[in-house]
Amino acid sequence: MDLYKVSPGPESFLPPAAAKMGNVLPDPGQGHIGGTIVPEEEAMEMAARKFLEGKVPTIFPGPLVLWHWNEKAAKKAKAIRALADAGPFRLIPMADYRPKYPKINPEVEINPNHPNLTIWHNEIDVCIFVGVHCHQANLSLKIIRGGTDCYTMAMCAQAGHEDACLSFRDATVEKIERLTWWVNKLKAEGVKSQAKEFTQFKHIPKWREAEGN
Amino acid sequence: MSAEKIKICEDLYDIMPPEYQDIVENATYGKEGRGWKDIGESKELIEQHSLCAGCPESIAFRYILASLPAPEDTVFVGSTGCTSLVFPMVAVHNIHSLFGNQNAIATGLKRALMVRHPDKVKDVVVLAGDGATVDIGLDMTMQSWFRQEKFTTICFDNELYANTGGQESGLMQKGFVSKMAPVGKLFDKVRLPEIAREAGCHYVVMMTSSKPNRVEKAIRNAVHVAREIGPTYIQIYTPCILEIGKQSMEGLDEMKDSEGIGGRFTYKEYVTDAAAALIKEMDDAEKAAKKAAREKAKAAAKA
Amino acid sequence: MNKKVIPEDRKIISSTHVKIGQKNQKDQVHTEPNEFFYGVERITKFFTGSEVIQSAIKVSHCDVMVAYPITPQSEAAALIGELFADGYIGDYFRGESEFAVMGQCAGAAFGGARVFTTTAGPGTLRAMENFPMWAGSRLPIQVCVTCRGVNSPLSIQPDTLEMSYLLETGMLIWHAETAQDLYDFILKGFIVAEQPDVHVPIAVCCDGFFVTHTKDTVDILPDDVCLPPYDPYKSPVPCMDMECPPVRMMRDPFIMKSNYIHYATHASWQQEIHAAVERSRKHTIPFLDGLIDIENGDRDILIIGSGTAVSQSREAIRLLELEGIKVGLIKIKTIRPFPHEEVREALKNAKTVFVPEFNIVGWLAREIKAIVPDNDKIIAGPHVAGGMTMPSEVIVVEVKTALGLNVEKIKM
Ligand SMILES: Cc1ncc(C[n+]2csc(CCOP(=O)(O)OP(=O)(O)O)c2C)c(N)n1
Ligand code: SF4
Ligand SMILES: [Mg+2]
Repeated sequence: MDLYKVSPGPESFLPPAAAKMGNVLPDPGQGHIGGTIVPEEEAMEMAARKFLEGKVPTIFPGPLVLWHWNEKAAKKAKAIRALADAGPFRLIPMADYRPKYPKINPEVEINPNHPNLTIWHNEIDVCIFVGVHCHQANLSLKIIRGGTDCYTMAMCAQAGHEDACLSFRDATVEKIERLTWWVNKLKAEGVKSQAKEFTQFKHIPKWREAEGN
Repeated sequence: MSAEKIKICEDLYDIMPPEYQDIVENATYGKEGRGWKDIGESKELIEQHSLCAGCPESIAFRYILASLPAPEDTVFVGSTGCTSLVFPMVAVHNIHSLFGNQNAIATGLKRALMVRHPDKVKDVVVLAGDGATVDIGLDMTMQSWFRQEKFTTICFDNELYANTGGQESGLMQKGFVSKMAPVGKLFDKVRLPEIAREAGCHYVVMMTSSKPNRVEKAIRNAVHVAREIGPTYIQIYTPCILEIGKQSMEGLDEMKDSEGIGGRFTYKEYVTDAAAALIKEMDDAEKAAKKAAREKAKAAAKA
Repeated sequence: MNKKVIPEDRKIISSTHVKIGQKNQKDQVHTEPNEFFYGVERITKFFTGSEVIQSAIKVSHCDVMVAYPITPQSEAAALIGELFADGYIGDYFRGESEFAVMGQCAGAAFGGARVFTTTAGPGTLRAMENFPMWAGSRLPIQVCVTCRGVNSPLSIQPDTLEMSYLLETGMLIWHAETAQDLYDFILKGFIVAEQPDVHVPIAVCCDGFFVTHTKDTVDILPDDVCLPPYDPYKSPVPCMDMECPPVRMMRDPFIMKSNYIHYATHASWQQEIHAAVERSRKHTIPFLDGLIDIENGDRDILIIGSGTAVSQSREAIRLLELEGIKVGLIKIKTIRPFPHEEVREALKNAKTVFVPEFNIVGWLAREIKAIVPDNDKIIAGPHVAGGMTMPSEVIVVEVKTALGLNVEKIKM
């Protein structure tokens, strides 16, 4: 079987799952770019480059890193914030996975049941998932690839994602920091961020302001 | 989950949808003596849902969620039906798998949680429609009671299959004309509370959701009895206003009309001796706590 | 295909667990899977299939087992009850029907437990609604299916028809030939099914009676080791125990076009389940030493099968060899994922291929015919069903008849 290339869409009404096309996940120390297995460092460098080249580069952090359910999660959140600041890249959370009634606010969040809405609304051309449960990440990646032209990436704490255009696996705090390092290195080498100016959605509730946090 | 685990990572706090900031700050996870009076004062554990406007299921849901003794350590099990439209919006882990198998799921779940978390109390609560509880799932409902599985079963009794468009159910009243009962239902409303008592439930209540304090008390009792002693059952009338041709504001009256003396939903409860003793203990402790609080307030006022 | 997965190094790249090296409640050491399967010295036993199932579960560190009697798995299910009484299993009970049992298994798996159950024939069909639910919900439950007849009139005897009903449920389906296969498949099945990138249920099937009720030599692991525990927090979906985010979480909400969602959400969900089955190849190929075994695959005539049909074929091949007819053998170990590439490659040069099966419909032959270009060379048969044995002579006759050789009628 020829290599099934995982590229930005819009691919088709219902694109196939890359695994069904014979794409195998990377081993530890590896990543994949467009389905081709590469050393992890190469995938990281490419991820950093793609992010800097993007007009609306966006990080989609999921529940596993948004919620402080263990200390590791808090450290990952810190590393993700640092990555976002290094760009700067936009942050849009995937706070949960529920079909949300009556609708989502695509400026504030992304939802795995219609991730395309957030991509379209914000004209996101390159994105990276992190801390999203693998099943939900795969649904999102496939729907995005099917109907949008966004370049998708996945930083996975487990075995990686063939349905992303680029992915690496076993994403520890150190690996998230390594990606930030790559962003900074490329910038130091003269690669300029092509990101359009954006306003990061932020919400600090009244009670927090009062607490002075 | 200890209430402290329901917390947002500081570094991503400001990008979290406001609803979640609110739930962390203002919901009543881990609060002693939580109850229906928190509604309006605090963030509820339920977001917008897509039930019909005025459907009494929604108010029953809100009272129940407000009354759970420990939502931070409670897992719900639902079934296919109108309630499935609410569960995605509930901020407590919950499971839908098939239509009618809810008490089988809850059995496996409760046992797994006991094996995996032997040092914690994990409450399991089933909440399903009458079709799920009494018709397609009756076998599993009753068998879980026979086996003395330690969880609470709540049935939202709207006396028909609402989600599929109003067909006859076992809990429908005799003579009611509906889809699939074209000449009127030919047999009596199944007497599940009595069956529950005979099948081994330690605490059984039949009621409507017209009175929040009653719902609160029943939920508190049922969950605690299930935790300590054995199975409990609550059947709540949540009329399907859509299928019985009522307006959205008429649900409450419908419930009140049905709970008068001789009505189908006149309040009744069956309590075993063991459960009665536990409930008395809880009531006494609550009274003592209230008294202590009053005296403390008095002392503080004096000083 | 972006890279070839080869069986050579017989190693699984499995997710690690903090408890590896520690002891469980029965002082069994949680052992890293590769070490567990290839490092630890085994003990040879002469066991029935039922005892084999029990021995495998004894070292599986299983959290919950739910039992229900149906021949030919009742004995195994009861023997596992003895393990529970001895403290090897977290919880064990008899459910009220196979439909309920599979729901109870699902409940336990939703709650983060490693779950095992067994069933057969009518039990499998009674439970059927649960299997696609398990798969859709990404529950890595293991059910051992000891195949028997399903249709009226009732028969408790071996027949593999029920496997065909499982094919499109989204489960992994492995078919054990021998007691040794059964032992290894059960234990390896847990590890493969629980990998975060796979995480779907697995049916480990064997032919009732032929495997469950006969004695065979098996090399088993000593009692002082066991598998690493299952880690539900690596699951591709949240565990329902209120110990992990998100707190507002329903497993699994309706995702229908009418619920304000993308038209392809459900389809994508289904694709993801089948993708997960595909991903299991990467773990299964090294672990089972390939999805198929080949003996003398360069011969013009081949027999291909799964389960005990393979054992009968092996003997038939010996008999044919005595008459100077050389036949090769291919054993299929995994029915889902189906070894398309492997089978296509193995049958490429064959002139005639036979598919003996213990069922009347020949579902395996159908699977093979669907993927081989020159499929008129595939002969679906011989078939036996409803508890019939498949004497090797029957296979010999099938082969010789197809080759146009004279055969003596078999008298029974
Ligand atoms: C096995 C199976 N049979 C039938 C259905 C169709 N079905 C879905 S919901 C429902 C009725 C639910 O009635 P009830 O439990 O009373 O809940 P309600 O909608 O009234 O709240 C039925 C029959 C199904 N989903 N699965
Ligand atoms: S159909 Fe009936 S039970 Fe369902 S939401 Fe509407 S009013 Fe409520
Ligand atoms: Mg109903």
